[in-house]
Amino acid sequence: MTEPLLEVSDLKIHFFTDEGVVKAVEGVDLVIERGKTLCLVGESGCGKSVASRAFMQIIRKPGKIVSGQMLFRRKSDDGTEEIIDLAKMDPKGYPIRQIRGKEISMIFQEPMTSLSLMHTVGHQITEMIRLHTDTTPTEAKVSAIKMLQRVGIPRPERLIDEYPFRLSGGMRQRVMIAMAMSCNPTMLIADEPTTALDVTTQAQILDLMLELQHDYGMALLFITHDLGVVAEIADDVAVMYLGRIVERGDADTVFNEPKHPYTQALLRSIPKIAMQRDELEPIKGMVPSPFRRPTGCQFHPRCAQRFNLCNQVEPANTHLNENHSVRCLLYEDAEARTSNAEAAAHG
Amino acid sequence: MANQLIEAGSNGHQQPALNDSQNLVEARGLKMYFPITKGLFSRVVGYTKAVDDVSFDIRAGETLGLVGESGCGKTTVGRCLVRAYQPTAGEIIYRKAVDLTKDAQKRQFSSHGFKHNDPSSQDQTIDLATLTGRQLSPFRHEVRMIFQDPYSSLNPRMTVFENITEALRNSGMRSRREMKERAGYLLKRVGLRPEYMVRYPHAFSGGERQRVVIARALVTNPRLIIADEAVSALDVSVRAQILNLLEELQSDFKLTYLFISHDLSVIRHICDRVIVMYVGKIVEVAEGLDIYTNPKHPYTEALMSAVPVANPRQRKQNQRIYLEGEVADPSNPPSGCYFHPRCQYAKDQCKTETPELKDMGNGHFSACHFAGELNLRGAVMS
Repeated sequence: MTEPLLEVSDLKIHFFTDEGVVKAVEGVDLVIERGKTLCLVGESGCGKSVASRAFMQIIRKPGKIVSGQMLFRRKSDDGTEEIIDLAKMDPKGYPIRQIRGKEISMIFQEPMTSLSLMHTVGHQITEMIRLHTDTTPTEAKVSAIKMLQRVGIPRPERLIDEYPFRLSGGMRQRVMIAMAMSCNPTMLIADEPTTALDVTTQAQILDLMLELQHDYGMALLFITHDLGVVAEIADDVAVMYLGRIVERGDADTVFNEPKHPYTQALLRSIPKIAMQRDELEPIKGMVPSPFRRPTGCQFHPRCAQRFNLCNQVEPANTHLNENHSVRCLLYEDAEARTSNAEAAAHG
Repeated sequence: MANQLIEAGSNGHQQPALNDSQNLVEARGLKMYFPITKGLFSRVVGYTKAVDDVSFDIRAGETLGLVGESGCGKTTVGRCLVRAYQPTAGEIIYRKAVDLTKDAQKRQFSSHGFKHNDPSSQDQTIDLATLTGRQLSPFRHEVRMIFQDPYSSLNPRMTVFENITEALRNSGMRSRREMKERAGYLLKRVGLRPEYMVRYPHAFSGGERQRVVIARALVTNPRLIIADEAVSALDVSVRAQILNLLEELQSDFKLTYLFISHDLSVIRHICDRVIVMYVGKIVEVAEGLDIYTNPKHPYTEALMSAVPVANPRQRKQNQRIYLEGEVADPSNPPSGCYFHPRCQYAKDQCKTETPELKDMGNGHFSACHFAGELNLRGAVMS
């Protein structure tokens, strides 16, 4: 195991709306390692985007980090290594703005809405570079052109004066990547960066991201609902359901020996290109409303393997081995299960 | 120019004939050009050839897949078939039901069936491309559409009941009891509770809305359903539910589907035959499995190689083919084969001659000059 770059423990993010509190993220534990790709998978509304936005402290109102730690390892200004807790930082403060874009940067799903329509591509990239480094406008422009070239844009010196609407979807996403990479971050968060793209463009963007990761050695947190994309790029996979990580392991294990009933069901429900046309086994029912979360295990109303304790006891995180953990009562040993049940009965 | 083309395409009173009695629809030389206008008086300066001389058959009872990247004209083909557009040229020959009332009975709900405008007509086929206005209305019931985004395709100011039965009201049905019965029956068939029909669309989730959209398509006893990216906006677990529902309804109601999608794994799952389009033209047609194992057009090969394989162990098996440059502009396409600037096998002939869709045997057609010579790789099978 390489050293962790970001250690998240018991992260809770709640949205305080007029209709009630939405517990978007309910106790997420994650470790993101330097130079590796972690894929966060889940259906819409499972809290994967909210959790990733928390790492940059850009959660929209009325969302709030209620509890938890996000320990981020970085080089401090005097060159020594320090560990800071991102969760404690003020979202509007100076220290987080030093990290945002410079050490942790983000790519969003729809490049057209995340790029400014009013500014040229070059303006937007150089702004980022000049904010975080001590460079002259000319130097910044040179490095912006270099970065655009690196992400595979033909004739970058011309494109730098173009406005984003003149570019195709794939080109825009390349510009977004160039912008995110321009300050050489140690961690890149990509929130469904290829969902809006065609398959051939998607393949190119995925390969580009892996190549850049290899060259620059950054950690990549990739958020997606597309299991095919996960299988292509992930080192590790974390499966989320209703604000919790239900299974975590390396890609091979999660895909070939999934343990959690939700992961198993998810893998059975995707159509594959195979010799035989496969039967799809959909998951029964639908993701419950965030206002009415089920008791006990969140997945139990849709689970085919549930038993009598599932609606009472909240499963703890069980480590099956060093790299594989699952949150399901089936894998908790009997002792832990009864003590949990007692605790639930008393509490 | 457009008007001349339309006149040339129409064939007056002559009865168009189908090549094969199994076909429900035959599109021949279908063209849809959108004018590009400029200046104060909207002078036409060119045409976007969204669909450019496309011919294909839809067999009765099959699921035909239509794949391609965005902007290739697949949606426009679907919209021409439902006659949301007036095609610039070409024929859409449609086989009418032999006896409409009997046919409806077979499809299970005759008691709520329709009185079609001309039950006496003995015509076997009709060209949908030349019909206008009222002449089209009986066929509007037989060819229905399911859209991608269930959030925008239902009218938010109508209840589910009103949404579903709008087509019935438009065709003159007045009995509320009958409409309620029918909406209730269909809601049950698509897996929703009939009581829900008094609610408004906002009370439903994405998957449930898509079920309502399907019920709305079924309300007129359709024979052909055009599903335009019908599952693309849905979550993985819900997508499987809707795909299974569509298959179930197909066998129960004897439906024919034209399934438009960019997702090759969904197409593999649901389609009997597949058409691949590129810049307004059909580049390949084949049986479902055949096109995946044995593609005959370089574009199909590249498309297959780009599909992510859902197993990390097979990561290395797939050698990606990189398509250089961008998809061609349909208002200013390249010479010869439209794919030649991005094709790794392109030769001089490709730059000058436009390839025809050639029969390669076994119902496999390819529009490549070298389809017989090239040995192309198929998709990685999982």
